[in-house]
Amino acid sequence: MKVTYRWLKEFVDFKETPQEIANLLTEAGLEVEEIIPLVKPFDGVVVGKVLEVQKHPNADKLSVCKVQTNEETYQVICGAPNVAAGQFVPFAMVGARLPNGMKIKKAKIRGVESFGMICSKEELGLEHHSDGIWAFERELSLGEDVYSILKDEQDWIIDIAITPNRGDCLSVYGIAREVAALTGNPLKEITIDLKEQLPEKTADIIKINIHDADGCPRYAGRVIRNVKIGPSPGWMQKKLEAVGFRPINNIVDITNYVLAELGHPLHAFDLKQIKGQQINVRASKPGDLFVTLDDKERKLPENTVMICDAERPVAIGGIMGGQNSEVSDQTTDILLESAYFKPERIAMASKKLGLSTDASQRFERGADPENVIRAINYAAALMEQLAGAQVAKGIVDVYPQPLQQKKIPLNVEKINKILGTDFDQKTIRQKLESIQLKVEADQVIVPTFRHDLSLVEDLAEEVARLVNYSNLPAKKYTTTFYEMPVSELENRLQYFRNEMLSLGLQEIFTQSMVRRAEAQAFTEDEPLAIKNPVSDDMAVMRPSLFTGMLKAVSHNLNRNNKDLHFFEIGRIFGSFDGINLPDQPYSLGVVITGNRQLPGWNVPEQAVDFYDIKGYLETFLGKLFLDNYQIILYDKAGYMVKGQTIAVKIKEDLIGVCGKFTEEVCHAFEIEKEVFGFELNLDLLQKYLVFDRKYQPVPRFPYSERDVAFLVDKDVLAAEVVEFVQKNGGFLLKSVEIFDVYQGPNIPQGKRSLGLRLRYQSAERTLSDKEVDQYFQQIINKTIKHFSASLRN
Amino acid sequence: MNEIIEKIRSEFFEAIKNVKSAADLEPIRIKFLGRKGLVSTSFDRIAELPKEQRPLFGKALNELKRELENAYQNLQGDFKKQQAKQVQLDLTLPGRKPFAGRKHPLLKVADEIKQIFVSLGFTIEDGPEVETDFYNFEALNIPKTHPARDMQDTLYITEDILLRTHTSPVQIRVMQRQKPPIQMIAPGRVYRRDTPDASHSPFFHQVEGLVVDKGITFADLKGVIQAFAHRMFGPDIKVRFRPSFFPFTEPSAEYDFTCVFCQGQGCRVCKNTGWMEISGAGMVHPNVFKAAGVDPEKYTGYAFGMGIDRIAMIKYAIDDIRIFFENDVRFLNQF
Ligand SMILES: [Zn+2]
Repeated sequence: MKVTYRWLKEFVDFKETPQEIANLLTEAGLEVEEIIPLVKPFDGVVVGKVLEVQKHPNADKLSVCKVQTNEETYQVICGAPNVAAGQFVPFAMVGARLPNGMKIKKAKIRGVESFGMICSKEELGLEHHSDGIWAFERELSLGEDVYSILKDEQDWIIDIAITPNRGDCLSVYGIAREVAALTGNPLKEITIDLKEQLPEKTADIIKINIHDADGCPRYAGRVIRNVKIGPSPGWMQKKLEAVGFRPINNIVDITNYVLAELGHPLHAFDLKQIKGQQINVRASKPGDLFVTLDDKERKLPENTVMICDAERPVAIGGIMGGQNSEVSDQTTDILLESAYFKPERIAMASKKLGLSTDASQRFERGADPENVIRAINYAAALMEQLAGAQVAKGIVDVYPQPLQQKKIPLNVEKINKILGTDFDQKTIRQKLESIQLKVEADQVIVPTFRHDLSLVEDLAEEVARLVNYSNLPAKKYTTTFYEMPVSELENRLQYFRNEMLSLGLQEIFTQSMVRRAEAQAFTEDEPLAIKNPVSDDMAVMRPSLFTGMLKAVSHNLNRNNKDLHFFEIGRIFGSFDGINLPDQPYSLGVVITGNRQLPGWNVPEQAVDFYDIKGYLETFLGKLFLDNYQIILYDKAGYMVKGQTIAVKIKEDLIGVCGKFTEEVCHAFEIEKEVFGFELNLDLLQKYLVFDRKYQPVPRFPYSERDVAFLVDKDVLAAEVVEFVQKNGGFLLKSVEIFDVYQGPNIPQGKRSLGLRLRYQSAERTLSDKEVDQYFQQIINKTIKHFSASLRN
Repeated sequence: MNEIIEKIRSEFFEAIKNVKSAADLEPIRIKFLGRKGLVSTSFDRIAELPKEQRPLFGKALNELKRELENAYQNLQGDFKKQQAKQVQLDLTLPGRKPFAGRKHPLLKVADEIKQIFVSLGFTIEDGPEVETDFYNFEALNIPKTHPARDMQDTLYITEDILLRTHTSPVQIRVMQRQKPPIQMIAPGRVYRRDTPDASHSPFFHQVEGLVVDKGITFADLKGVIQAFAHRMFGPDIKVRFRPSFFPFTEPSAEYDFTCVFCQGQGCRVCKNTGWMEISGAGMVHPNVFKAAGVDPEKYTGYAFGMGIDRIAMIKYAIDDIRIFFENDVRFLNQF
């Protein structure tokens, strides 16, 4: 919302500078985003007099002029057709700096020297386009600084961000009302000098019927005849341009001027196009079509407030007029509409139409029903003055059920309780009255322009902002000893995260909206799709952390960052059943590529393989002390290489998958290196965490170890052998570890050697060699028998 | 008997004369001082002697043993010193480095924010990112036609299910399941339909705060934000509250901190205002209490929000939000 400093001064006599006004407004909740001077600074431009003008010897369109200042006479080349001897002009001397940053230098133009420049208004930043140089209307003293002269007429655009609750501040007058309260000055009324010169009565020319009083509680009309369409006067154009309206013609400019100043949207119909001398306001029916001013045929949402004549709709109420009744250059008679529409109805229609206009924005934030008459009279008066028009007598004003002013009990105690203050009733009353709220007995009467005030909490805010938030007390924070529940989920997520960090992995944080194709690589279900995505790159919610993580890998590999060991914790998203919120569990992802360890002078390059990712997985799970998890061979993850994929299972829950990404997946992310990863569903995993663990006594007696190498069929899995030995090795066997795996020379075809280290230990005594040897020999025999194995020599 | 002792002694000292390394020394140790060496076996011969000579011989043998051991140890020590000199390490060569586990900078800042509030007695709550219209809007006093819906361009799954545009829905969820007093923060990811550029990302991160109890006032809100500002950015940071509008708070405020780049003097970053806009706050609107089943006659409360990304950008002087989500290790390694 733009206003100008001088325009505000038309309604309030204040002394504050533009910056001071901006600060007051900002501190009162009307955030000033920018103050823009209308005259931009420049220097070195002085008043000069054109003494003579001669044709340039080498260029038809240029003139060689002599310009006199108080000190000297200069030769200047000028290209403007309107330059003439005797003119007083703004003369930029050599060294001058213009508002656009241009510096004036001595120049030679087509062989003739030029010492300076005669300026146009455009060049001085005073208008967008000039057709020639600016000749002053009056004589000025030669050599006077032009910027200083203009500065007396300087004005500033104050650009304010208006929050959606303050529809009343979408006008110069609305802002002036705030300025009056904030500076402690009275607010002046707008003077309206309406003559109504036509003998006819408006009521005889037009009938207005409201059939949709819910959507349009009030509708008023006036008839204006003999309008001469033409440009509006310069002062009006200048003000409109300053606050962001493009001047069009006097009639449009007048309605925009009233809109800008009073905040009330008006609409002008070409009276000759209104059939049957009547206006009917009614709600649209499904399937209705209408062509708006902008030549677009629009399908009307049901229950849109429509303005119709005897035969057809002529405007979408409060949003946009129709092409069929638009004011044109041939228009002489006008039906001027001023109405009040219900905010919710306009908001709904505007949203469904996808059409937001200056009018709809005001109506949906709440216009003032009391402004209906003021605005129509003001515009009619301006049309008399500026468009040579005559206005018919009286208004047709249909307002079947006038809106009541809201009343709020003035609860001083509650206001103080909210703010932590101890204001007395007088102070509060004074503050509320300064913004034109009336206080009667213990009631606050809210004027109709303040739609946002209905509760005592609202009054508390008004008092607070008028007192200034900075002047409200701040209570020194002291920890309140509430007994709050434990942040359980947070604690668990941090627990997982800290364990990952302790493994030396780099935490990354990736986006959760991804391409559909990326998502589909990691789920067989339909990914959770966004109806109105920002772009195809962010069309669905990630079903797996791998989407973003592989993108991060790709980004780094492309920049030659090679050794990547990443983890991430975040939500992933299940598919949508059409009714309930989708499953959105926290997930933990790890991806690794490049070297196993940072290479160095004594660390050779060694690429990661399956056993690195499995090692991360096992160490992580080991740190959680989950004793009931199983690692199973897995081939259902399409994005991982078959035969290089395992899964983690606890009871019936599949917690996650671990393995090597397929080439197709890597290609899809433009990765040419081998990448390994695992992902665990933390919502499932955390069910199995045990927090009340008790300690196990550390063994007091030494252990004995025995090594053995079995030759088994190469199809026999290591885990099968270990499991068998563990199960059948006797109660003194504490652990079985694989210390060597070998296949190759000296080993028969189709066999491989598995070296096992068995550890025996008793909690009660030191075991004798003899008894350990005995158990050891027994299990060796059993194993050989079970797997048809032999011992490796 | 003395001859035996003398013989062992002279043989030993003769033997060590020619020793040149620790390796040469080892067979000598075994021959004389080992478990089955000359000294040990000599003890076995005590039994051969007449009773009265036995203690004397035992004593002499023990003395011999000590003497030889001393000589052996001195020599061994010399060899060790020599060896240390020969195998000198170049200590300037770099060590073998394991990968270092590092937190993502944004989450590091989130940790800091959380720690501050936990130290102020807040709990940490969480809520879904895919939310219902009810929790994200309706319950927060933002009905369907409210113009405030335009303040946040929303990404929808269906008409009633959406990506939360703020962390405020967690307020409602917590109030529904927990009676006041409530003193919580809820950090998390939120989504808006913004085109990505240096200062906008269609997803970013907020921390929501909510305190509800009897007798909570706007003065408490000012106090807690001040306490946060001081702990996050230092004791000289000032806080400014300005009136604003959020449908779910009344009165509503926006709060600013002293610009950390110019200490409030005015610079390019703060557009010469001396202030950095942080976020919004206010007293919980009675309609929000009603929607969440809290009695607004009995309780008052305040709520606040803050952007984690924004605070991280201020803290590390980062001027492009997108760099957080590229995860370039040359960036990540700086934190
Ligand atoms: Zn600054």
